[in-house]
Amino acid sequence: MTGKKTPLIRLAKRDAMPSWQRWAIRLAAIVLALLVGGVVMAAVISPDNGNFFRRFIGAYATVLDGALGKKTAIRQTVKNFIPLLGTALAIAPCFKMRFWNIGAEGQITAGAVCATYFALFWADKLPQVPLLLIMAAAGALGGGLWALVPAFFKARWGTNETLFTLMMNYIVIGFVKWLQGGPWEKQPKGSQQIAQFAENACLPKVAGVYCGWIVVLVLMVVMFLYMKYTKQGYEIAVVGESERTARYAGMNVGKIVMRTMFLSGAIAGIVGFLLVSGANNTLYDGVADGAGFTAITVAWLSQLNPFGMAGISAMLAVLEKGSDTLQTRMAVPVAISDVITGVLLFFMLGCEFFIRYKVIFRGREEKEGTK
Amino acid sequence: MKKRTLSLLLAGALTLSLAACGGGAAESKAPEESKAVESAAPAESQAPAESAAPESKSVKVGLICIGDENDQGYTYNFIRGKEAATDALAAEGINVEWVVKYNIGEDSSCEDANIECAEEGCQLVINNSYGFEPFMLKVVDDYPEVEFVGCTNQGSWNDGKDNTHNAFANIYEGRYLAGVAGGMKLQQMIDAGEITAEEAVIGYVGAFPYAEVISGYTAFFLGARSVCPSVTMKVKYVNSWSNATEESNAAIALADEGCKLISQHSDNTTPATAAESKGVFHCGYNNDMTGIAPKASLLSCRIDWAPYFTYIIKAVANGESFDQDWTGGYGDNAIVVTDLNEAIAAPGTAEKMAEVEKGLADGSIQVFDTKTFTVGGAELTQAFALDTDGDFAPDSEEAVFDGAYHESYYQSAPYFAMIIDGITEE
Repeated sequence: MTGKKTPLIRLAKRDAMPSWQRWAIRLAAIVLALLVGGVVMAAVISPDNGNFFRRFIGAYATVLDGALGKKTAIRQTVKNFIPLLGTALAIAPCFKMRFWNIGAEGQITAGAVCATYFALFWADKLPQVPLLLIMAAAGALGGGLWALVPAFFKARWGTNETLFTLMMNYIVIGFVKWLQGGPWEKQPKGSQQIAQFAENACLPKVAGVYCGWIVVLVLMVVMFLYMKYTKQGYEIAVVGESERTARYAGMNVGKIVMRTMFLSGAIAGIVGFLLVSGANNTLYDGVADGAGFTAITVAWLSQLNPFGMAGISAMLAVLEKGSDTLQTRMAVPVAISDVITGVLLFFMLGCEFFIRYKVIFRGREEKEGTK
Repeated sequence: MKKRTLSLLLAGALTLSLAACGGGAAESKAPEESKAVESAAPAESQAPAESAAPESKSVKVGLICIGDENDQGYTYNFIRGKEAATDALAAEGINVEWVVKYNIGEDSSCEDANIECAEEGCQLVINNSYGFEPFMLKVVDDYPEVEFVGCTNQGSWNDGKDNTHNAFANIYEGRYLAGVAGGMKLQQMIDAGEITAEEAVIGYVGAFPYAEVISGYTAFFLGARSVCPSVTMKVKYVNSWSNATEESNAAIALADEGCKLISQHSDNTTPATAAESKGVFHCGYNNDMTGIAPKASLLSCRIDWAPYFTYIIKAVANGESFDQDWTGGYGDNAIVVTDLNEAIAAPGTAEKMAEVEKGLADGSIQVFDTKTFTVGGAELTQAFALDTDGDFAPDSEEAVFDGAYHESYYQSAPYFAMIIDGITEE
């Protein structure tokens, strides 16, 4: 066994680990990530702000203070939080089903377009509450139908959903660009902007932030119950574990795929509605602003647990807002927040690897044993 | 936008490759927005009280930019203004601490940037792009003690609020002057027998059929015609403020249609290089383009924001109010033409320009002198400047008096939007 053919490092699948141990590894990963991230920040902050250690501490203090230090800062952080959680909830059922929906970005945008139609052309005919409800319904329908297209092709002809959903993004984003410079452009022409919505097409604020945060928190609970306690949630889990098992059990896999994708797209569409009606009060091509992709990370990191998603979304929202303040106060490039987020994700995904596999060095297998 | 698309694509591709590995743990992170180049605002400030002169004052100013200085055009021009104003104010004992937000979109990220600046203690927040204004205006009521400026726009000065401002410079004066240089060149070619009088045609690459653009090309044309009476002009729109390829295509098409001089109201330098490749001449905008098109580019005109920045920052430092709608002209040093490309310019151009410059500064030359142009064959005797009922047709404030159309007189943003005889839009 200790012959020359044995590689220096080998990997072996681990037996199930106790839950406390898994969480300890994850916690350690976060701490390590924050340490590395802090070193990066301290390295780019100007030496005028004290020695390396002071800059390290100062950077995190600024991030936390910038994101949570004031009531207004918290509001901005919550504004970042809403689309992240909403979209993560949207893609969770798809991912549970092992259907790689990379198209949330486009589904958000499609929902936003449909909601915007009513905001622009029906605002003078309807009072606020029915108008907002119609916009939400239109957003859900738009996002759902946009998601249904790749699901239909997948169910019918087995097309690759990853590529399909990804490509659908560019179509709808291009469409919005055309709307912005074309038929929906505000007067006078030339601004490439769609007009700001009338007041009754805007979501009211609750506690200083548009009420989308309530919507996504309710969605979080509903999604938890749906996935855990409903028949449909169970079907999704079975299809995700093994499509064949699902077939043997008499489930109509194609139907489940399409239904789940429609649901996923509809939630993304509602996020699109929240963004145009609450956050931006207008539509533009960058309305999703990467939430559709960041949410993939959020969903995975939280192991598809809706409450976990809220935690991860909050952490990313704090980082995003905090690093903006870091830029304002310490002249650190805004891109640094992407670097820190990247480091964090790298460590957290890396730790999942160590939870699943163990590393065996040459000469140690006697003690550890392999399967 | 392009950067964002790229980052989406990258993120998507990354996710794709990971997911395709069939692993349970396949995920990626989309870099939300690759605001890659985010350079440092000079953060150090607050001269220690004991070392400072007694009347030394400090002002914190936010500047929100649509690009960064790498665009070598629009935002670069603001950064130059910022630096010059900082130096000028330092000489007067006013210390400016800048918070600069680069690469902000004309979307809710602009609202966030305005909030961020105000929350971080900026007393004055300057928004450099036209499309920022609607997002800026959402924030202003929450910070009544902070002054907000929407450069080049027109929705702030008369919105009934005390802390919102607009500013623009009389860039039409600069264009008129550039037109003089271009017209001199055309006249020289006519005199030398290289082209006939009828062949003196200017091609203009415009962004949008929009008052700011129309006012600009009309001024350019009138400048050229003041020294080359037979000149005519064709205008092509690219329907974008910045689209390098389309701008180049439009310039090439104009040259192919027989235009001998190209000018532009768009953000890129491609019309200059297109003109050079077609062997015709060019007048630029925002930045000197003689470096990249030495055989074509005669000169450029641009706004110098330093006088305005100096003026408003000084006002804030002294606790005074400043104009809600500011317009700067030649007399205020707010308009600059870049160095004339003497190697290709017609002889005597510099002298003629100096004479016109003097006339513009002292008011003896009116760009839109109603004796120099006709609309529909008739002299212009009446034209309204402003729209008050929201239908985007001017309906109030008579702009024609004292023998001239008064551009940027009632508000800083241009409002001259008539097509005068001699110019054809395509």
